[in-house]
Amino acid sequence: MTPQNQAVLVNNKENNKLNFSRLFIDRRNTLLFLLLVLPAIILYAIFMLYPLVNMFRISLFDWNGILGKKTFIGIANFIDLFSNRSFKIAAMNTLRVVLVALPGVILPAYMFGFFLSLRPRGFRIFRAIFFLPVMISAAAQGMIFLIIYSPGGILNTLLTQIGLDPFTRIWLADPKTALAAVISVDLWADIGLHSVLFFAACSNISFELYEAARIDGANNWDIMWKIALPIIKDYFGISIVLHLLWLLLGSAQNVLLLTKGGPGSYTLTLGYYLYELAFVNNRMGYSQAIGVLIFIIGILCMIVIRKLTRQKSN
Amino acid sequence: MKRKFGDVVVDTVVPYMVATLYALLILVPIFFVFVSSFKQNAEIFSRPLDFPVKWDLTNYSKLLSPKFKFNFGIAIENSIIITVGAELLTIILAFPAAYAIARVKTRFSPVFETIFGFGFLIPTFTIMLPTFLLMANLGILYSRVSLILFYPAARLPISVMIMASFLRQISSEIENSAILDGANTFQRIIYIFLPLSAPGIVTVIILNFIFIWNEFFLALILLNTQNRTIQIALSTLRSIQKIDYGMMAAGILLSVLPVLVLFVIFQEKIVQGMMAGAIKE
Repeated sequence: MTPQNQAVLVNNKENNKLNFSRLFIDRRNTLLFLLLVLPAIILYAIFMLYPLVNMFRISLFDWNGILGKKTFIGIANFIDLFSNRSFKIAAMNTLRVVLVALPGVILPAYMFGFFLSLRPRGFRIFRAIFFLPVMISAAAQGMIFLIIYSPGGILNTLLTQIGLDPFTRIWLADPKTALAAVISVDLWADIGLHSVLFFAACSNISFELYEAARIDGANNWDIMWKIALPIIKDYFGISIVLHLLWLLLGSAQNVLLLTKGGPGSYTLTLGYYLYELAFVNNRMGYSQAIGVLIFIIGILCMIVIRKLTRQKSN
Repeated sequence: MKRKFGDVVVDTVVPYMVATLYALLILVPIFFVFVSSFKQNAEIFSRPLDFPVKWDLTNYSKLLSPKFKFNFGIAIENSIIITVGAELLTIILAFPAAYAIARVKTRFSPVFETIFGFGFLIPTFTIMLPTFLLMANLGILYSRVSLILFYPAARLPISVMIMASFLRQISSEIENSAILDGANTFQRIIYIFLPLSAPGIVTVIILNFIFIWNEFFLALILLNTQNRTIQIALSTLRSIQKIDYGMMAAGILLSVLPVLVLFVIFQEKIVQGMMAGAIKE
């Protein structure tokens, strides 16, 4: 017996018999619903919601070291942040990362994604290659680039071989290149991720729209910006939000794996500073004030970007 | 219709050139790591992009040797235990929840959907310290159990969302006919909804595998040396005084291998699943 065959036999009169009494079904459904949902909700509440609430609470304490004394100091941690030199440097570096890596990832990714969605010859191979870095863990990415950037590493070797010796340097220890070297890892990996996602978004657009424009003399460049972009504007906004959140938080992994904020504090970002304060310097309360700030900045940016892209598509 | 020469350049030549350049930028480092994993330091730096003179497995055998300080064998075992444990717990919790949200109509359904939806806004990174403290209070800090409990919590929102979207597509006529046959709720879930939403479950399992196997920060702070995962073992190779790049390359390949295998088999599913997650956001 297959369920599909049975479905054909069902007729509507019999369906109606199932509605005995609304009240009874409501109560039974509510019980069933809670029984099924509660185990998941409980685990989720303990390990996600509670830590989130606790982050806000801890940020109001002066608390250094797990066994240290906890003193409630209100919003003093937040006020102190604005006169903290390291915090200012971290905020500036994070701004640099966002200003370079946000357009640096999203714009090429959109162009690649659009191009591949036209199904040019070999698009499957490109798509598979572009998606490769997404499968490579942060730790592995970090180690790959550590080998590439190392003093005798492949980057310096290749530069020497093509006669550009003056440009060789210790990429991760040179104040001029350290931050750019860290950002490059993000560009390397995330242009690929977002091109494949843009490819999927653009693949839903009907080619007929493009054909009409081509008859009017438009080339692919015009079509990409004037026809495809307005259609997927909503998804474009989502990509910007996702990558911004990633840059604010997740990219701290690359800093930890490659430079630990150095040389000096040339690669200190807000995300890494939060990690360092919490787990290296044991400044619990203070670190969580940064956590709260990043969380709020992230949510605000998200609301603003979603508003902008949604209004324009109306 | 004849196309202008300029348009052909803009439409085809330039995009192909740029896409090929980026593809090379991705492939060259991966190829470099692959060949380096069979070489020793001297050869890595003198002939970086050549095939190894001899396909030498020393780097791999050193990494997996129980005598080695950064034993990868134990780390791989830990990664497998944590991944399997967390995957099972995620599915056991997420499938019933997804079924309830998708198929059981009550006035609470939208509320709970919103609660899970809120999870997309909580980056696991921001709650690292509170999670660390929570694990300490529960007495499971530094043990694998901490991650087997944490990863499902972090992955429940997306897992429930993807499975619910598959469960919604199942026609209610099938369910009604089973009710007429006298199947109770439990039987309907097991015999109808579970098999029919299998593609969604597979997608969730694959996406969670990639996340859990690759996760770095929480594995770094919640585990001690004996329990550390392959990602953490890999990152500690950099702390050896004179870095052994060949061994590091071998470690990189070992750590990405399982995910690459999944990628080769399930590329379409992975892209679709990630797309679904991105749109829900």
